[in-house]
Amino acid sequence: MTYNCMTTGDQSELSSWHVTSVQSLSTRPMNKTAMSNARHQSRRGRGHRQKEPGRANRDQLEEQKAEDSVPCGTCMTMCPVCELRQREAQNRLHRFEMVTGTERDRLPRADASRAVKEYSRPAAGKDSTRASDLRPPSVLLNTVCYLVDEIAASSTFQPWTEVYSFVFDRLRSVRQDMIIQRVSGPDCVAVLEKSVRFLLYSSYRLCGQQLQYFDPRINDTHLQECLSWLLESYRDGKHQHQEEYQALSLLYNLGSAEAIQHVLELPERIRSSSAVQLALAVSRAHMERNPVRLLRLAQRLDFIQVCAVHRHLLRCRRDLLLLYSHGHSSRNCRYPLQRLARLLFLKDTLAAELCQVHGVNVTGDWVNFSKSSFTDAASGDVQCRRMHEPLGDEQWNGPADSVIHACV
Amino acid sequence: MAHITLNQYLQQVLEAIESRDGAFCAEMMSFKHPHVANPRLQLSSPEEKCQQLLEPPYDEMVAAHLRALPIMFAVTLDLRIFANNAEQQLQSKGKGKVGDMLEKAAEQLMSCFRVCASDNRAGIDDSKKWGMLFLINQLFKIYFKINKLHLCKPLIRAIDSSNLKDDYSTAQRVTYKYYVGRKAMFDSDFKQAEEYLSFSFTHCHRSCQRNKRLILIYLLPVKMLLGHMPTHQLLKKYDLMQFADVTKAVSEGNLLLLNEALVKHETFFIRCGIFLILEKLKIITYRNLFKKVYHLLKTHQLPLDAFLVALKMMKVDDVDIDEVQCILANLIYMGHIKGYISHQHQKLVVSKQNPFPPLSSVS
Repeated sequence: MTYNCMTTGDQSELSSWHVTSVQSLSTRPMNKTAMSNARHQSRRGRGHRQKEPGRANRDQLEEQKAEDSVPCGTCMTMCPVCELRQREAQNRLHRFEMVTGTERDRLPRADASRAVKEYSRPAAGKDSTRASDLRPPSVLLNTVCYLVDEIAASSTFQPWTEVYSFVFDRLRSVRQDMIIQRVSGPDCVAVLEKSVRFLLYSSYRLCGQQLQYFDPRINDTHLQECLSWLLESYRDGKHQHQEEYQALSLLYNLGSAEAIQHVLELPERIRSSSAVQLALAVSRAHMERNPVRLLRLAQRLDFIQVCAVHRHLLRCRRDLLLLYSHGHSSRNCRYPLQRLARLLFLKDTLAAELCQVHGVNVTGDWVNFSKSSFTDAASGDVQCRRMHEPLGDEQWNGPADSVIHACV
Repeated sequence: MAHITLNQYLQQVLEAIESRDGAFCAEMMSFKHPHVANPRLQLSSPEEKCQQLLEPPYDEMVAAHLRALPIMFAVTLDLRIFANNAEQQLQSKGKGKVGDMLEKAAEQLMSCFRVCASDNRAGIDDSKKWGMLFLINQLFKIYFKINKLHLCKPLIRAIDSSNLKDDYSTAQRVTYKYYVGRKAMFDSDFKQAEEYLSFSFTHCHRSCQRNKRLILIYLLPVKMLLGHMPTHQLLKKYDLMQFADVTKAVSEGNLLLLNEALVKHETFFIRCGIFLILEKLKIITYRNLFKKVYHLLKTHQLPLDAFLVALKMMKVDDVDIDEVQCILANLIYMGHIKGYISHQHQKLVVSKQNPFPPLSSVS
């Protein structure tokens, strides 16, 4: 019986474990003396050769600096000067970054006050840790405020799909800077909160748009990343807006047992807040499969909460039709269309359309339910948009301001 | 076999060698034999003892076997425990992402697992595949702790497709079925969950009171969802009186008591991760309540108002006739009631035959 893989394996595994655990304890840059003590102890334990005391300390400090140093940004502008010059020279500026009036020039000029560092994929040979290219937390927060308040919430920039694409990319770059510098704490939380708000709003506003302009799955991936990072950050210390975002996370992930369990385990103070209680009530109605109750509760949600939950509402309405198709299934019985529309919180015509799509028979003002005629619709997205608030493009900018500004 | 002394073990090996009983000898050297669980055989230096009683090359072989046994078990067990401790330390210091240490431990265990699973070279008795179930159980423990249950799927598939699955020790199988049962619960596959957890419960050794109680914590909600309420005796025996009020409420169709019971023992239920499942009992409670209404009115055309009154008696005040219809529609859709709702007549018309089928017959 040979267990070489395990006997030798376990040794090196365990020893590398020791080193990693010490390093990972210092995810925040600790002061040097504390770090040198920690390393000193772990070295002593493993019987290292004793060097002269003076030389040993200096050597240790040098090693420390190299091994444990976390990149610390020094770029005080939204876009590093280096990148700005390069992109200007290569004609790779975004429309929103150009000096007004030069957009149609052969080589548009960069407006340093409006240029923002773009996202670039990490690659071998590319050093993404140069301090002059990285923006410190305070600058990152200012950048996010600029992107969300000045660009996304403004009515000047059209079409909004282009705004989305620009802001989405630049926010991604902000998060990248945060990751490289291992930023945490209030600045990190503020950046994430604003990003979450933007992505939630986008998911509602651009719902149903063509794939080339808006991909709901990509938006979702980034939104989930931000949310889980944000919720993780909330574990440390007190945060002013925590209740709101815990509720938003639960609504966005309606039906997820993990999300509910997470909320149930939150401290009493947060769990009992009105936002979280409402989100839990919606979640409960969803779990009990009571769409009548769910749609009623949804009327009490504020705009950003609706943005979070909206993609689940279509399924909820479909469930109502499904349940009633079975529960009211009878050849002779009829159900008033108007009442059904009220339960669905839709206009009569829209309710009738939804019924039609699902094979539910409507004649005039009456609905006849039958469990054998109910069918599942093909694609959801286009229909979802039709159930939204009937706002035209011009009317969107009203809600955007207040919604996105809400978090200062 | 799990309690013999080292001397007795070695005597048996010696006898087997002398009587040329190869099969028995092989058993004594294999991992699947119960002797592996015997702590008395897990010595750090068994060579001396082996040399005393056995001749070469048997002394070396047996010593090597005895050495190896605890290593694999200890390494993987220690790794998990170490990771747990590291987790706790990090949490108390407020640093690091929760679950990081455990995830790393899981990664190490997965590589051990891959070695075992891909061991096609050695014969069945020496096969590293015997280590599989033990490793899987360790991995399950971690995945449940860090709430990444979806990672259990490939492991379950591996065991299902293995031809050794019924030959592992009972203890390992009990642990395995416990976790698979809990996973099935999570996936709302209650019939399967009941099967696995019941197996785990009945085969768990009588003396492991603590483990039996743990299994019961998950078996009870599943059984209740399938319509089987536990007896008071059972709850008392295993110190699980938290379920007493829940049981009473569900069987009586008493929504008020159910809500109160869930709130009263909320912390316990949430910590065990069964709070959400217990909330599913609400539907069963509705069904039981409405069945009572049916028996009281003794008619097949039940006015919807009657249900509304029954709910209000249970202090469920925020429900109106539309919600009553929705709840009934859901029960009909799920197969708990056979019938249909007539909105025009404001009645629930139920089948003359078996309108409330037994809970165990409804998926």
